[in-house]
Formats: sequence, structure tokens, C-alpha cells
Amino acid sequence: MILTGPEITAAAQDGRLRITPFAPDQVNPNSYNVRLGPTVLTYTADVLDAHQPNPTREFTIGPDGYVLQPGELYLGHTIEEVGSDTFVPLLFGRSSVGRLGLFVEITAPIGDIGFHGQWTLMLTPIRPLRVYAGMRIGQIMFFASVGTIALYRGKYQAAGGPQPSRYWRDVTKLRAVAS
Amino acid sequence: MILTGPGIAAARASGEITIEPYDPARLSPNAYDWCLGDTLRICDTDLDAATPTPYSETTIPTSGLVLQPGVLYLGVTHERTGSETYAQFLNGNRTIGALGIWVHVSAPLGHQGHAIHWTLEIRAARPVRVHPRMTFGKLVFLHCLGTPASYQLHGLKYTATAGIDISRLYEELAGGTT
Repeated sequence: MILTGPEITAAAQDGRLRITPFAPDQVNPNSYNVRLGPTVLTYTADVLDAHQPNPTREFTIGPDGYVLQPGELYLGHTIEEVGSDTFVPLLFGRSSVGRLGLFVEITAPIGDIGFHGQWTLMLTPIRPLRVYAGMRIGQIMFFASVGTIALYRGKYQAAGGPQPSRYWRDVTKLRAVAS
Repeated sequence: MILTGPGIAAARASGEITIEPYDPARLSPNAYDWCLGDTLRICDTDLDAATPTPYSETTIPTSGLVLQPGVLYLGVTHERTGSETYAQFLNGNRTIGALGIWVHVSAPLGHQGHAIHWTLEIRAARPVRVHPRMTFGKLVFLHCLGTPASYQLHGLKYTATAGIDISRLYEELAGGTT
């Protein structure tokens, strides 16, 4: 079951989910609108390697916005810290943003119960697109779960700002186990 | 929880779900298989979230129309769908995905109270010919938890969309055109 807007508001008040900061005018009938933070990362290597840390360049979106280019991958973040120890969060774009040809996530909309932090956005535009810090870029919805809850203890816990892929940390562990 | 096909049929019969036009043959095990409408808007310029998007509009001829990579297309569902009771997720189907067509660009949610022809955001991985009224995707209906707050009462932007809507995000941005 997906939470209604009034239920999201009630759950934010009684602690079943946390959205910080919380603004009532960002509540939709079945989701909460999240805003684009000012910090963006791009990878600097021509070829990414899933088994290695990939160097990144960080920049800040200025008051005139920033033009995202097709063919580039930008890692942005939500201003809001969002999470729940009760519900499963799903992050998607907003239709207003999709209609501008901007993907805000890549193949991974489903969050984990127990993750709390700023969500990394994986921004890839179809056309060159000027975006602005603070714009309402995505929406997070919450689903009721069935079964015993085991909280998230993963590598992106308490994320602040955009997070590059840390798959390499899992590989390092696998190698340690294998050796 | 997701409604089954028979569940969708029953909810439509009882008035909880709108699907018009409706064809029972388009019910699948847990979705309604919707069709691509006749019209496309083509967006092939540089875009700005604070400015209305320039576009040209075309009717898809019966012989079809070739989508090109690198272009943003805004299409529309042939059906008008909605529900005050259920939330909706709209997606493409496997056939469309296997042709390299993205439908919806990361925004699949239809809020409770939506009653619209859906604007579709379409992108092609490689040149591909599409045809009017072809089966294009799946629409699923989700049970909701909590007191409903209908989209119709929210003063939101796209409450009564009859055709294709460009993004109206510019209305929200300071300095944007209103």
C-alpha cells in the first residue's frame, strides 16, 4: 500500500518517517516533493570502473542555475534528509521534470527501510537543460511493508551531499574474504 | 498491494476507476495495457526549467513515425484514466523496452484524484518507428494507506489534462515566466 499525503504528514509528525526539513506545501496526494541541493559531482575519468573508487569533480549550482549536458552523468542530492524505519521509500522524478527530459534516478528507485540521509540523484538529461538549486526535482513515496523489519546498515547511511558509487568497497571486502 | 486484472475490472464496474475508452481485452494479470495516442510534441532545442519548453507538434501518420535518439518527445495516452481510491503507476511494457524506448522518464506516479490523458515523456535509444494507437505500456493500480487528499483539491497544475502538457515547472521558479 502507498501512503496518502495526509498519512505522510501524520507519519512525519509521529516519527514513523523522517523528512528534514519538512514543509506542508511539498506534500502531494501520494508523495512528498524533494528539492535539488546545490552540490553536484561529475566523474572525471573517461571510463568508470566498478571495482575502483572513481575520481570526481565537485561544483556548486550558482544563482543563474547550471546547464546539464546530454551524455554526462551528474550526481546531485536532495536538500531534504529522508528516511523511515517503518516504510519503504521510493524516489522518482516529478512529471514536470520528466517533461523537461530529465531523468533523476537510474534504475534504482527503491530505498531501504532504515536509511536516513540526503538522497543521491543520478541526473541525465535528454536535451541540454538549465536547472536551479532549490527546484522541486523529485518525489518520494512510501510503501507499507510486510514482514519483520531489518534496518539498513549499508555503506551510504547518513549520506550528506551526493555520493559516488562505492561498489569498490564491497569488492575490497570480497577480496579480503577470498584471500 | 497491486490490483489484479479482474480487480481492475471490478473496480471500474463499481466506479472506483475510470478508464475511457475501455476494452476488457486490454486487461492483463495485474495491469491495463494502454495505447499510444495520435499526437507527439517534439522538443529538440536547449531547455530551461524556468522557461516554457519550445516544441513542434505532429500527428503520427498511419504509416508510423520514426523516433530519433537525442530528442525528447511528449506523447499522450489514448485512454483517460483516473481514480479517487487508488494511486496509479504508468510504465512502458517489455515489448516497448526491448525496442529501446523509454516511456515516462522517471516519473511514473499518478496521484489519487488524477483523471487524465497522461502526458508521456518518450526517449529512444536508437531510431525506431512507432504507430498510432499501438499498445505501449502498462498501468497498475495501488491500494492506499491513510486519509485521501484528492489531486483535484490540491490546486495542482495538471488536474484536467485533456492532451499533452509541456512542463509547467517554470511557474514554480522565482524569476520564471508565469
